[in-house]
Amino acid sequence: MTNSIPEIRDADLLFVIGSNTTEAHPIIAMEMKRAVGRGARLAVADPRKIWLTEIADWHLQIKPGSDVWLLNAMANVIVTEGLENRAWIAENTEDFEKVRESVLKYTPNEAEAFTGVPARTIREVARAYATTKNAGIFYTLGITEHTTGTDNVYALSNLVLMTGHLGIRSAGMNPLRGQNNVQGANDAGATPVFYPGYQRAAEPDVRAKFAEAWGVPQNEKRGLNLNEMMKAMQRGEIRGMYLMGEDIVISEPNVCKVEAAMNELDFVVVQDIFFNESCRFADVILPAACFAEKDGVFTNSDRRVQRVRKAVEPPGEARADWEILVEIMRRAGVKQPDYTGPGEIYAEMAALAPKFAGISHDRIDREGGLQWPVASADAPGTEYLHKGGVLRGKGLFMPVEYRAPFEEADIEFPLILSTGRTLYHYNAATQTRRSEGLSKKQPEAFVEVHPKTARELGIGDGQLVDVVTRRGRVRCRAMHSKQVKRNTIWMPFHFPTARTNELTTDAGDAVTGTGEYKVCAAKLEAVDEHSRHVFPGSYLTPMEAGE
Amino acid sequence: MSGSKFVVIDGNEVEFREGETILHAARRLGIEIPTLCHDDRLEPAGACRICLVEVEGSRLMQPACAFRTAPGMVVRTNTTRVDRNRQFIISLHLADTVADRDEAEDVSRSKLHDYAAQYGISEGDWPHVESPREGRADDENPFIAFRPDRCIVCAACVRYCDEVEGVSAITLANRGGRTTIATADLRSLDHTTCEMCGGCIAVCPTGAMTEKPALFYGKPERELERVRSTCNFCGVGCQIDINVDREANRIVKVTSPPPGTTVNDGNLCVKGRFANDFVHHPDRLTVPLVREVDGQLREASWDEALDRAVRGLQSVRETHGSDSLAFISSSRCTGEENYLIQKLARAGFGTQNIHQCAAT
Ligand code: SF4
Ligand code: SF4
Ligand code: FES
Repeated sequence: MTNSIPEIRDADLLFVIGSNTTEAHPIIAMEMKRAVGRGARLAVADPRKIWLTEIADWHLQIKPGSDVWLLNAMANVIVTEGLENRAWIAENTEDFEKVRESVLKYTPNEAEAFTGVPARTIREVARAYATTKNAGIFYTLGITEHTTGTDNVYALSNLVLMTGHLGIRSAGMNPLRGQNNVQGANDAGATPVFYPGYQRAAEPDVRAKFAEAWGVPQNEKRGLNLNEMMKAMQRGEIRGMYLMGEDIVISEPNVCKVEAAMNELDFVVVQDIFFNESCRFADVILPAACFAEKDGVFTNSDRRVQRVRKAVEPPGEARADWEILVEIMRRAGVKQPDYTGPGEIYAEMAALAPKFAGISHDRIDREGGLQWPVASADAPGTEYLHKGGVLRGKGLFMPVEYRAPFEEADIEFPLILSTGRTLYHYNAATQTRRSEGLSKKQPEAFVEVHPKTARELGIGDGQLVDVVTRRGRVRCRAMHSKQVKRNTIWMPFHFPTARTNELTTDAGDAVTGTGEYKVCAAKLEAVDEHSRHVFPGSYLTPMEAGE
Repeated sequence: MSGSKFVVIDGNEVEFREGETILHAARRLGIEIPTLCHDDRLEPAGACRICLVEVEGSRLMQPACAFRTAPGMVVRTNTTRVDRNRQFIISLHLADTVADRDEAEDVSRSKLHDYAAQYGISEGDWPHVESPREGRADDENPFIAFRPDRCIVCAACVRYCDEVEGVSAITLANRGGRTTIATADLRSLDHTTCEMCGGCIAVCPTGAMTEKPALFYGKPERELERVRSTCNFCGVGCQIDINVDREANRIVKVTSPPPGTTVNDGNLCVKGRFANDFVHHPDRLTVPLVREVDGQLREASWDEALDRAVRGLQSVRETHGSDSLAFISSSRCTGEENYLIQKLARAGFGTQNIHQCAAT
């Protein structure tokens, strides 16, 4: 996030796109409700009638995958009506002309056909966004989990740049992170493109710096992102894998192929708190402590580094992940100091990453969470980015063109399947499914279908159905719901008994490798309750299903 | 003193701020005024009357939580009259709830009983009043218990549910001594718009709203140790207080820090507050496992398992090269752990193939 969570309540306009905020980020939704209560206007772009649409001034119910059309059409309104912030653009940005030209063909009238959003609404929202000073954009997986994820983000940032909604309070461009420490894992360099603190792995100087600090030469070959790793594994190029705290078998798209490839690996280490699905392929399984059993830091969506503190002892012989990693390093012959705890590990990272230079466990313990960048031990944290001008010189406009999603609905698979999370569960749900109370609220997998669509297909509310895509078939209950549009169905991805990710495509975003969880073509087939495969616990692979 | 830019409270001057209540002005001077029905996240309701103070020129005392200051205003919070009112209000509420402190605090803490102790009021000062407040004994929701005998009908819970959470699942019902906190048709919270955020518990000044799991566990909150930490679910980074039974090495419940102190402003969602069963779940892995040649997993010592792990990775590296290894880490691990695993990949095994599972 360029801005901070507590600033949301003072915004005058919120543009929420692809984020079911009340379910995925209830606390941020509270801030949004508070802003609306104060009189802020709210525009929500989402294929479903999510809760926020009830208090929204506008609901832009877009066809999944048509975000670029919508955003470019908004930009079109802004530039054709002269609502762009010329002075700000001139001072802070580059290449505005390119975007101005590229969006001219995205007229609101044509956008209506592609997105399903009335041209009038597109105009209204674009005008309101451009002419309100404290206007913030909020987005999450709905925007990034597409083959066009990076395009979507550029299209959004074009809007932010042309209106100058940056570097001031209660505005900005705010991705809401799906999981607790996504930001922190990126900060720490758990990504092939960056060393800790967003220092580019492609730059020889950066590699040299870390080679010297760690006393080991650094490989200059570009690393693989997750999506590429999965594909390299299927080609037999990845032969060994170390999995810390993740169940790729349940969370990766197109699971069947991933499983087959994992089976072929020479060596797999899994380090986790539960015996997850990936453990079936592991050679060594290391029992880890959970967040309540260890010390460290998490970084939240607004770049706030906060402490995790040990509250209880881990069960049995389980150990904190950092303790395990230190041991593995020692045995692998990596030179390292005798860390006495995570505070010292953080200090090592902070000394190598200028963005975190002023952050330490001691300081967080004294002052509470700190928002990076923090230049030095006596410098304050950074509430919002780009104050007094875009960071690092000029904000770059990036023209983007609409590209159709990898898969579109067709005669054989006439519906668009979209996936996501619900309030009561959390991703692979290894944690939330083990909460009795939460499982009671939402015990089994389901697929949301518009009642009219369901009636056409002869599917009753609560009836067992198979959701079928080109990759697999998953059995679950149909739930009639007007939250989805008629040609769209929606499933959560939390339940191992109905593995939604057997259905989704593994076509990744060209830049980030994020899988296109959000959109694929599907069909529904009613199932006889007395069929051989009983629910729950029955999922069929395409082979079993005789396809 | 017209034309003054100050408000005077107990003889101390504080700069006047437009729209500020007496409570907040006093707070800036470090003067504490007791409150029961007030919470900074809520519109002032003036329901419980414990916060009454004297305002010069006004015959009646005024509620500090709701009354706004004016330039030149003179306020007294330390007079006998103010004190007598506090004692009266505390006695009144005590007579209406469970008066005995140990019994009242058998699960959650009670602000009312803190004040009673502070103002030297004990049970029995006033005869107990029987208020036939209706509860929902058969409400099967898994998380929120309402114990009507402890309620003082300040409606903080109802206002929170309405004003902050925005779902209006609970409401005031009935009149007079029967007034209670109810749901539509006394339905179980499961069948209302309730999102199980537990905010009603956090704002309740008496512990009438309480966490069901903690109620079943049965150890008073006073005897638990509090550890401030960060929630491990979504990216908001809510600060949480983990309440631990030290002897039993158990998490009993999670509570929210006071409003105005952290990024979550004292709020939590259902996951942060209630989804902690997994920590003590019997399915947790407790010993290292290694796979035998016959494909079976067996328990192993840490020494053996770590050795196998390192040797296995090294042998892949020797036969197929560094870039045939992939390291995948998790956003559920700490920053330090993510730092270490990328160091392990880059410095220990010479590859840039390191990525966290959630790229968003
Ligand atoms: S838990 Fe939250 S939503 Fe439910 S009644 Fe309490 S305040 Fe309202
Ligand atoms: S349950 Fe608690 S917060 Fe609600 S009215 Fe009763 S005393 Fe007040
Ligand atoms: S706190 Fe002021 S009336 Fe209750």
